[in-house]
Amino acid sequence: MVLYVVLTVGSLLMLSPFIWMVLTALKSPNEVGAFTWLPKEYHWENFVEAMKTAPFLNYFRNSLIIAIGETAVTLAVCTMAGYALAKLPLRGAKSLLTYFIVLLMVPFQIILVPLFLVVKSVPLFGGNDILGMGGTGWLNSWWGLIIPLAAGPMYTFLARQFYVSLPSELADAARMDGVGEFGIFLKVMTPLVKPALVTIFVFQVEGAWNAFLWPLMITSTDEIRPLQLGLAIFSQDQSDIQWPYLMAGTALAALPMIVLFIFAQKRFVEGMASAGLKG
Amino acid sequence: MSNLATKAAPSRTGTATGHSKDGAATKGTRLVKRRSVTHKQVRAGWLLLTPALLHSTIFISVPTIAALFLSMTDYNFSGDWTWVGFDNFVELMGDQNFKTAFVNTVVYALVVVPISMGLALLIALGLNQKLRGMAFFRTAFYIPTVTATVAVATVWLWIYNPGAGLANGALSFFGFGPQPFLSSPDAALPSLMLVGIWQGLGAKMVIYLAALQGVSRELVEAADLDGANRWQVFKHVKWPALAPAQFFVLITSIVGTFQVYDLVYVMTKGGPGISTNVLVLDIYNDAFQGMRLGYASAETVIMILLISAFIIVGRKLQGADKSE
Repeated sequence: MVLYVVLTVGSLLMLSPFIWMVLTALKSPNEVGAFTWLPKEYHWENFVEAMKTAPFLNYFRNSLIIAIGETAVTLAVCTMAGYALAKLPLRGAKSLLTYFIVLLMVPFQIILVPLFLVVKSVPLFGGNDILGMGGTGWLNSWWGLIIPLAAGPMYTFLARQFYVSLPSELADAARMDGVGEFGIFLKVMTPLVKPALVTIFVFQVEGAWNAFLWPLMITSTDEIRPLQLGLAIFSQDQSDIQWPYLMAGTALAALPMIVLFIFAQKRFVEGMASAGLKG
Repeated sequence: MSNLATKAAPSRTGTATGHSKDGAATKGTRLVKRRSVTHKQVRAGWLLLTPALLHSTIFISVPTIAALFLSMTDYNFSGDWTWVGFDNFVELMGDQNFKTAFVNTVVYALVVVPISMGLALLIALGLNQKLRGMAFFRTAFYIPTVTATVAVATVWLWIYNPGAGLANGALSFFGFGPQPFLSSPDAALPSLMLVGIWQGLGAKMVIYLAALQGVSRELVEAADLDGANRWQVFKHVKWPALAPAQFFVLITSIVGTFQVYDLVYVMTKGGPGISTNVLVLDIYNDAFQGMRLGYASAETVIMILLISAFIIVGRKLQGADKSE
């Protein structure tokens, strides 16, 4: 009984900021001058108004493009690499695996300055010559937003852990039947690691959706800015801040991932746990 | 990991001996065929691995090495640069912004990491019961973790609003006067820490919960039969089983708290004054406001050393706990 009381109070502390966010988003702008819980009237049109005040819909679309792009690249590149490391007779596969594990521990903040320079010097993009000089490379482009943050070594490692537990006899049998190596990877082995694909999908979508620092560094126009960045810029305009609209925008930024989490909860929690305990 | 690699090796030699047991006449052709099959596998393997290898080399390895190199130069976007040795590091020692950021980041980690680890463990112990409604509580504690930090920070900016915010509303309900929170240099950093702890609980709790569910029921029941009380069961059965989870949670928490950025950017931008300046914010400002990329890289090198030092000391402390 005591446990229930403690857990209920704890859950309320965790959830009340979100509840208050939604309630604020529904209040009229002149109702937020003093603290209240419930709105007097529910102003659902605030969400529409918020879209008009800031290009939130545009930001939302951009976040979606980035999340889908990063996730597609990650799923392709990391399953390929994970499968090769787990099941194909590569010389030095063990040291290659160690290489990926070391890289997955490099914090992003350490490399942010040189990564900016690498992305700026991608040859033949953004007015760059073949040596990567003279232009802006992938700065302020979809390429720059999507490619560098996709295919993280963590996902290669995660995919490898799932492929390694499949019996090699399956691949051998397919080989006897004359299936090519890529056919074995795509049609025999990968369908068996669907849980891994879902885990990678959920983690990468969440990571891409919530990213902030990298888009802040490399974007300079609203056309390709993601939602988190748009929200941060909007919230910095302290002079005549419209809290209901700002909270409507925040709800738009927060709720899709909360919904995704609730639906994919089991995978998500298993993924967190296996990444933490098996590794 | 290593045992999986060795498991794969014998199975391959197994098929090889299987082939050689066949008739002596076919042995030669079989071997050739097998070799070409393996050759195909090797070629496919490298083809499949190359994109990931190229990607991680270009976007992680090269930048990591470049950061070390840049830290010894005065590179500033302009193209020409000179080698300055340790000058950047010497200059950092006298840089008030950097010193404040360094101290704030260390204090932030020292407060947030132990408190959130302790709370997360308590919640996990509470949730590790076969009772109704636990799935709901688990979801509730986890939601802040899956929410974007920018969104979380924006909500808390509103909660800390001095006039109409939820925080002062709640304080006045319990009879306390209003607090300045983010607008006072003394209260701003603790206010940020509170949000950091609140948001980070879920991720740690889930890992502890998974580890607790791995503790064998028999062991706990045996201890119960021997008359051990709850505290003794926790100390002698559950706590040792939590060691791998503790290690993972400690490392990710330390690395995570040192990277604190989004929260500070949205809520205080390092202010009032420089009272909530943190390392990543300072690195960002030096690199992209001050255009001093070499100088900012020197800061990242110090940050790597600091994270490493924290992890080594943290491991030592956990080790000392175990030997008790």
